[in-house]
Amino acid sequence: MPRGESSDGARRMINIVALSKTFGSGATAFTALTDINITIRENEFFTLLGPSGCGKTTLLRSIAGFVDPSSGSLTIHGDDILSKPPYARPVNTVFQNYALFPHMTVAENIGFGLEMLDRPKSEIRSVVGEMLELVQMTEMADRMTSQISGGQQQRVALARALAPKPEVLLLDEPLSALDFKLRKEMQIELKRLQSETGITFVFVTHDQEEALTMSDRIAVMNKGRILQVGGPKDIYDHPAERFVADFIGDTNFVTAEIQSLEGDTALVRLPSGRQIAARSAPDGAVSGPVTIAVRPEHATLEAQGALLDGLLKNIVYFGTDTHYHVMTQDGSTFVIRRQNQPDAAEDHKVGEQVGISFNPGVAQVLRD
Amino acid sequence: MTKPRAFDVRRQSGFAFVALCCFVLLYLPIILLVVFSFNAGQSIAIWEGFSWRWYVSAWQNEKVQDATVLSLIIATCASLVATSVAVMAALATTRTGTFRGSALVFGMINQPLMIPEIVTAVALLIFFAMVKVATGYTGLWYLIIAHSAFCIPFAYMPIRARLQGMDLSLEQAAADLYGTPWRVFRMVTLPQLWPGVLAGAMLAFVISLDNVIITEFAKSAGQDTLPTYMLGQLRRVVTPEINAISTVLLAISVALVVAFYLLSKSKKQ
Ligand SMILES: Nc1ncnc2c1ncn2[C@@H]1O[C@H](COP(=O)(O)OP(=O)(O)OP(=O)(O)O)[C@@H](O)[C@H]1O
Ligand SMILES: [Mg+2]
Repeated sequence: MPRGESSDGARRMINIVALSKTFGSGATAFTALTDINITIRENEFFTLLGPSGCGKTTLLRSIAGFVDPSSGSLTIHGDDILSKPPYARPVNTVFQNYALFPHMTVAENIGFGLEMLDRPKSEIRSVVGEMLELVQMTEMADRMTSQISGGQQQRVALARALAPKPEVLLLDEPLSALDFKLRKEMQIELKRLQSETGITFVFVTHDQEEALTMSDRIAVMNKGRILQVGGPKDIYDHPAERFVADFIGDTNFVTAEIQSLEGDTALVRLPSGRQIAARSAPDGAVSGPVTIAVRPEHATLEAQGALLDGLLKNIVYFGTDTHYHVMTQDGSTFVIRRQNQPDAAEDHKVGEQVGISFNPGVAQVLRD
Repeated sequence: MTKPRAFDVRRQSGFAFVALCCFVLLYLPIILLVVFSFNAGQSIAIWEGFSWRWYVSAWQNEKVQDATVLSLIIATCASLVATSVAVMAALATTRTGTFRGSALVFGMINQPLMIPEIVTAVALLIFFAMVKVATGYTGLWYLIIAHSAFCIPFAYMPIRARLQGMDLSLEQAAADLYGTPWRVFRMVTLPQLWPGVLAGAMLAFVISLDNVIITEFAKSAGQDTLPTYMLGQLRRVVTPEINAISTVLLAISVALVVAFYLLSKSKKQ
């Protein structure tokens, strides 16, 4: 296997091994990152997703060089970068607050990185022109950064970070300050920029929807740990842990017992006594009681005598879909989501005994 | 509807009277000083009509000229030295993690504000006397060094305040964009810090220009700054010439302090 190539053949860009960070010492010590292991591939849109305070920024700043990890290694293209100061690392950052230089014009901001690299004036001018075009800010080149709107500042911050053509672009919740509509626009624009430039993006967000729509792969973080890494569909359909299932989308949790295990398919026994095939989590339980997760839209409402039975407690109409809240035998609520058809009559009544069904392989066995 | 009011010191009885007394005490003597600088007569207490004669006489007085030049040289040098040192000290105390003894360093930078000036003056007198004996040098540098030293905290304060108010992520962004520490300082930190530096330099200038005690003790024979010259004059005949010089000094100080105030208020644009 050639250097810098991972087992699946894709070129490795960033390799993080056993990285930990503890702030402070003694009684006030706080471990913000615990044993982080990630491989980020070339040209990938990689997202760090997690709730506030889970360590996303700390991890991003470790890559940029503003946080000094307590242990572990971090390589870019096989070069150890932990020993290098921020200005010697081949990464650029789009800061959460943009951090545009207020005493410089838009064009000067964008050219700053190239100027620091001592590129010739003519080259700087042409690259800045290119970048201005890329983010559609050409008319504003000579404005001061205080004279442009939030969305425009965001685009300038992006152009400034892209101008030196870094190997990796780090983005720390760059869209969080924007309103909904602009945010949607910028999501599409970011995706376009990434495919046009071919630069590896490491993107931080706490917005699961943003992560699912934009990423090639997502790392879900909680309390300083990486819980699961995978494609958006993989993460959504097959969350490995209860936290992941809960944080991304809505989920029903059902207690079950593993009967047998073959490859990544487990045969589980539901509380009703019925058995069904479910996907098992890597390094998960191989036998005994477990929790399985079923997405509301992956289950259907049936007549009694299905996989699970219960009492229909509530019907909530949402326009595009309808939610059925079913209280199962063990007293927990199971939510089923059904897409609405035009002018379809509601064929269920609150208070009815109903059954719940889902296909084999839809349920996911959780690791904990 | 009358709402119960929170405690407001302005509404206490006698407040206006006390305030008035304070203002009169503070400003009446200064106003009188300025007024009598335009006196046509010899007295600093009996008004005999308006005249510029004391300004002209001060302007033509060679001793005043020499003292003014000396004062300006010392204040300019001291302000430059103190401001440079203060910028470095402010960077060291705001742009590094808290290190062992950082509180002590902070205290030591501000030491001249806390030690009685007369003590510093006597200490300098003795120290410089020893140096004079050892080297034989009796020039201007003693005063420049002494003034630089006690001006540092005055220059340090506004610079530090400015640095603390500055967004650290700007400097990080510059470092992220391949700026080495020195270039980050020159291209990003300094342009933002500029109003603070100017404010600090001006404050240091005024403080140096006005200083009497340390100058009186540290100066060599024959050297006189404006304040020490005036002090010397007060021991002899007092004419409104003193008032005229004082008024000019006052005008310079007020102008610089107003400029300082405006600068330290100016927002980062
Ligand atoms: N310099 C520091 N000293 C001590 N603790 C810190 C420091 N920086 C961050 N932390 C702590 O580390 C944890 C992770 O912080 P971090 O900024 O990485 O969170 P985050 O995932 O980016 O959150 P958010 O979504 O709110 O930005 C937090 O609990 C925070 O309080
Ligand atoms: Mg953060």
